[in-house]
Amino acid sequence: MDQQPGAPKRTEGYLSHDVRALLKRRAMSFLLDWIVWGYIAFAVMFFLNHYWYTWIPGHWYDTLTLPPWGWFLTILATLELAVVCRNTGRTLGMRAFGLNLRSASGQRIPWGRRLLRIGVWQVSVPLAFVGFWIDPSRPLHDRAAGTALLPAEQARADLEEDSPNTEEEVREPEKRALTTQWGVMSLFLFGLTFWLGWLIIEANLTALMSRADKAGDLFRKIARPDFRYFIREDPIFTLRRGSYAILDLMVLTLLMTLLSTVIGTAIAFPLSFFGARNLMGFHPIGIAIYTIVRGFFNIFRAIETLLWATIFAVWVGWGSPFAGVLALTIHTVAALGKLFSEQVEGIEAGPVEAVRAAGGNFLQVIRYAIIPQVMPAYWAFTLYRWDINVRMSTVIALVGAGGVGTLLFYYKNEGMWSIVGAVVIAIVAVVWIMDYVSGWLREKIVR
Amino acid sequence: MDSSAHLAIDRLTKVYERGQVVALKDLSFAVDKGEFLVVIGLSGSGKSTLLRCINRLIEPTSGRIRFEDLELTRLPSSQMRRARRGMGMVFQHFNLVMRSTVLTNVLTGRLGYTPVWRSMVGWFSKADHDLAMRSLERVGLEEKAYVRADELSGGQQQRVGIARALMQQPKLLLVDEPVSALDPATSNSIMQYFEEVNREDGVTVLTSLHFLSLARRFGTRIIALKDGMMVFDGLPSEIDNDRFQEIYGEDAEEVEVR
Repeated sequence: MDQQPGAPKRTEGYLSHDVRALLKRRAMSFLLDWIVWGYIAFAVMFFLNHYWYTWIPGHWYDTLTLPPWGWFLTILATLELAVVCRNTGRTLGMRAFGLNLRSASGQRIPWGRRLLRIGVWQVSVPLAFVGFWIDPSRPLHDRAAGTALLPAEQARADLEEDSPNTEEEVREPEKRALTTQWGVMSLFLFGLTFWLGWLIIEANLTALMSRADKAGDLFRKIARPDFRYFIREDPIFTLRRGSYAILDLMVLTLLMTLLSTVIGTAIAFPLSFFGARNLMGFHPIGIAIYTIVRGFFNIFRAIETLLWATIFAVWVGWGSPFAGVLALTIHTVAALGKLFSEQVEGIEAGPVEAVRAAGGNFLQVIRYAIIPQVMPAYWAFTLYRWDINVRMSTVIALVGAGGVGTLLFYYKNEGMWSIVGAVVIAIVAVVWIMDYVSGWLREKIVR
Repeated sequence: MDSSAHLAIDRLTKVYERGQVVALKDLSFAVDKGEFLVVIGLSGSGKSTLLRCINRLIEPTSGRIRFEDLELTRLPSSQMRRARRGMGMVFQHFNLVMRSTVLTNVLTGRLGYTPVWRSMVGWFSKADHDLAMRSLERVGLEEKAYVRADELSGGQQQRVGIARALMQQPKLLLVDEPVSALDPATSNSIMQYFEEVNREDGVTVLTSLHFLSLARRFGTRIIALKDGMMVFDGLPSEIDNDRFQEIYGEDAEEVEVR
């Protein structure tokens, strides 16, 4: 609902709610622009350092460091660059926080006045924000230049007292991103970050090319898989005093992942409703439950399954499939819980309203308004999770979580690459079959 | 407050967004049993808020609402849920679960009467099923009972919405812009269902409408809201051109919908 003309404006202290909101937006957008230039300055330093070594002969310094006055200069320079940018176009900060620089007349701001605004800013802000003392909603640099920095939704600056209040919003057509300053800057920052990242991860295409033969040898062995232990047990390999063939452990792995997916889903399903913002409402208790449940999801999701597997392998025994099931279950609960909750947050509110209007309670709202809406996504996520669990189970075997992955690492360590090839093919086959099965299930169960 | 009225609203006020927007201002009126009361006004004048304050889907900021013998604004939430059973609601955007069947959607209207454990396993009584089929018959959709809601047309979906509200066997129907998502011909037939329920079952109808022509045709009484305040309360015939411009603004022109 739009602001009603007769609605009272709430005031707090001597600043009205609106002015405080606007000042906050100004400050945040400025900070963002400053940070952007700080980041560019950092990148420049990084590039100087990096290419100093490799390109410039007779390097004088080992590393390039800033003297104290250099830091001071950088801060000043980035500040000024941000200010200049904010007066020559719509910056990233202005776009992110929805601000527009406009002139009182609504016309284009001439360059002279932009320059004037930059000039007055040098007094108005650095000197203890003196420009904001008289009228915080319109600081001196705006007054001098006859401009205003306004929320983008406000179409016109009503600067003169007697100017007619434009009743309806006049929406300006959004410009194409790459014709705006923020658009060009975003693209530039993306490119810059990619370039920086390329250097930081030590990408080395020469090594990738020149040393391909070393990996090729391994590839050739894996590509000639040896299925001799596929059904027959390997007499030398033992795990928890038992002998296993590849097929035995493959079936075991499938059971492990089935159990952990089912148990994990069963726990994540009810929890997901408590991790959904729209269901928990704005009551303090609701917010507390939401925060705890989401926190639980985040913490347990962030801790690697490898770590869980290590812990449970120590707990219930090295190589025990149960350890793997426990580790996978925990991660399944956390990952599915988050995805499920987000689905609940994205539902249509209408049916919820309808069930409540009919006298339904919280559980009935979930059962009749929410579950029917989220079911297709829940099925899809669960089936995909099973697929993830199969692939993950082979990795966590490295730390003793049991399953077919144990063979993978055993034969790798023995240097028996042809048998590794057989295990890999078995895993790929299972993942492939599961892909078909889950696609088929999705079509049958979920409409 | 009028103690004999079916529904009495006393100094109802709703303020949104930390005091920034006042949706309803000191609204008072009473509704008699069997009335067909139409609420008109521009978008944002507070019509939807008013309807949702009555069954407390939206919590009023202040004021009192009495329905029959119940002081609704004082009820704790469990008793409010019980009280909602007597008030059916029909929505502008139908608010059906599109992936569920028509029958399931209609049975949803019975949830307030169904024990929670039974509704969790989806076990509605035989009587509820019969009532659902009868409700669907009333809106002429009995053969669509096992069809998914999203396979129906807009008008049919709204009829499912009506059948769902009828499941509550309500004494009061709260109807929020029932036809503004529908074409004019369908609008008329939908309105006729409300008229029928109002005349035959004696259900009080409180509906918001966009079009004055529909309000004139179906309402026994009209209330007009402007900026959350009542600017008119009277018979449909009393709204002349001056009244009209007072409600809708000077530039407005009446659009006929038949």
